[in-house]
Amino acid sequence: MAVSTPGRRAPVRADLEQVFRAAYARVVAVAARVLGSRDEAEDVAQEVFLSFGRSGVPAGEAPAWLSVAAAHTALNHLRSGRRRASRERVAGVADPVSPDVADAVVTLDERRRVRAALARLPRRQALALVLRHSGLSYAEVAAALGLSPGSVGTVVRRAESALRKELSHHASPE
Amino acid sequence: MRHPSDGTLRRLVDEPAGVPDVDRAHVAACPGCLSGLAAAQRDATLTGAALDVELSTDVAAGWHRLAGTLAADGRRHPATARPARRWRTALRSPVIAAVAAVAVLAGASAAAAANWLEIFRTERVAPVTFSQADLVELPDLSAYGTVEVTHRPQLREANGPAAARQATGLPLPQVGKLPRGVTGAPTYRVGDRMEAVFTFSAEQAARTAAAAGEPLPPPPAGLDGSRFRLVAGPGLAAVWSEARGVPALIVARAVAPTAYSSGTPFQTARDYLLSLPGLPADVAAQLRHFSADGATLPLPVAADQLSSRPVDVGGVPATLLTARDGSMAGVVWAHDGQLTAVAGSISADEVLSVARELRWTR
Repeated sequence: MAVSTPGRRAPVRADLEQVFRAAYARVVAVAARVLGSRDEAEDVAQEVFLSFGRSGVPAGEAPAWLSVAAAHTALNHLRSGRRRASRERVAGVADPVSPDVADAVVTLDERRRVRAALARLPRRQALALVLRHSGLSYAEVAAALGLSPGSVGTVVRRAESALRKELSHHASPE
Repeated sequence: MRHPSDGTLRRLVDEPAGVPDVDRAHVAACPGCLSGLAAAQRDATLTGAALDVELSTDVAAGWHRLAGTLAADGRRHPATARPARRWRTALRSPVIAAVAAVAVLAGASAAAAANWLEIFRTERVAPVTFSQADLVELPDLSAYGTVEVTHRPQLREANGPAAARQATGLPLPQVGKLPRGVTGAPTYRVGDRMEAVFTFSAEQAARTAAAAGEPLPPPPAGLDGSRFRLVAGPGLAAVWSEARGVPALIVARAVAPTAYSSGTPFQTARDYLLSLPGLPADVAAQLRHFSADGATLPLPVAADQLSSRPVDVGGVPATLLTARDGSMAGVVWAHDGQLTAVAGSISADEVLSVARELRWTR
């Protein structure tokens, strides 16, 4: 007897907690790569597990399903969230990790540009990039996005190239 | 020969084993491709660094939040369907029919502890000693007679302390000192008295036993057609929430569940029901200790999730439950026909300290 089920909605699956405990950190990490912020990534993870909890996804496919859902949801947040950038800045300025304020500003600026660039990439490129950098294999990324494993490299390469241009363009002194 | 594509070079960075030998051999000997590989490597590293975020995740807190949302989700759509379902779940087992206290705690007692129970449910502390498998295997109660729910708890949020007190007639808890991290004023949830009637049918029980390939032990005289009224509540809970709506501390009190019998003494009926096929022997043994006076509180525990130990709250024996992952603790006791529970995402010490310093205002 797991969590009880309201009226007409799908029941909450019995293995939710087990899957959650095994996969939560990974799901947050996927979302954080897209959003650059832990708080937002945790929000995304909650959304993802809520959907998963009422889904019939086979347990064996859960890890990949969750990663893909996290990347999708996070990209949706990224594109819809204008306020996010300012929040991130506020949070980042207080970041005690950086020993040097100038460094911190550069990092934050870069981070923001990475997110902006991600938001501009075609959805499939952005997903392939994030999933690959989240540790999914080429075969897993291919399965998730309906690509051939051979073309995953091409899509990822294009995305990385676009990101690099975005970053180096802004990094050069004006 | 043809140069491998950029995509192949990129895969060479991550998964060289996935690239055909012939391509790898080509790249190793081709300055142009080697340079392309180096560029791919550089961009991959740069992207990795740009995307990487140093994180420490708190799985227990994450689960708490999700469990809270699911519970709240349930409360948003409760109306009539859900309490009825709870009753059905609770009353599915003949054991539970026999022991009203278990019945109410196992599922229906929400009125009792409202949110408190929600937490326990999501932590899978079905407060019954059966393992999950036992719960699933126990036969439906309708196999032994009929169940009629006559009053539903109608769980709802009360509009302030006065309204909670008026709706339930119960005193309000006064917490002396809130645990660290718990702040502000509580909200109040209330549930009405709930009641269900179970009528035992020897004929139906015999059919069920026959279907299971076992003979029905002869029922005690007068049990056939006997009615048992299971009553619990009303109850109220004061709930202190965290910013995200996860309950941080809950103090709940309810009128303890009681069974009333028409005809056959409850004790007799209970012992008979305990002897019916399909009941694990160890569970039966534990249930024999239960009474119907609302003074004994069976609090069986999912041992893999929670640990429990007896404690003392103001001279009354109580049971302390602690999540094995340290995410929550709760203590519950029965006294003077009332159940009281204190639980939250706090430590066992904090729970006990709140419980021991509780005051009640009428």
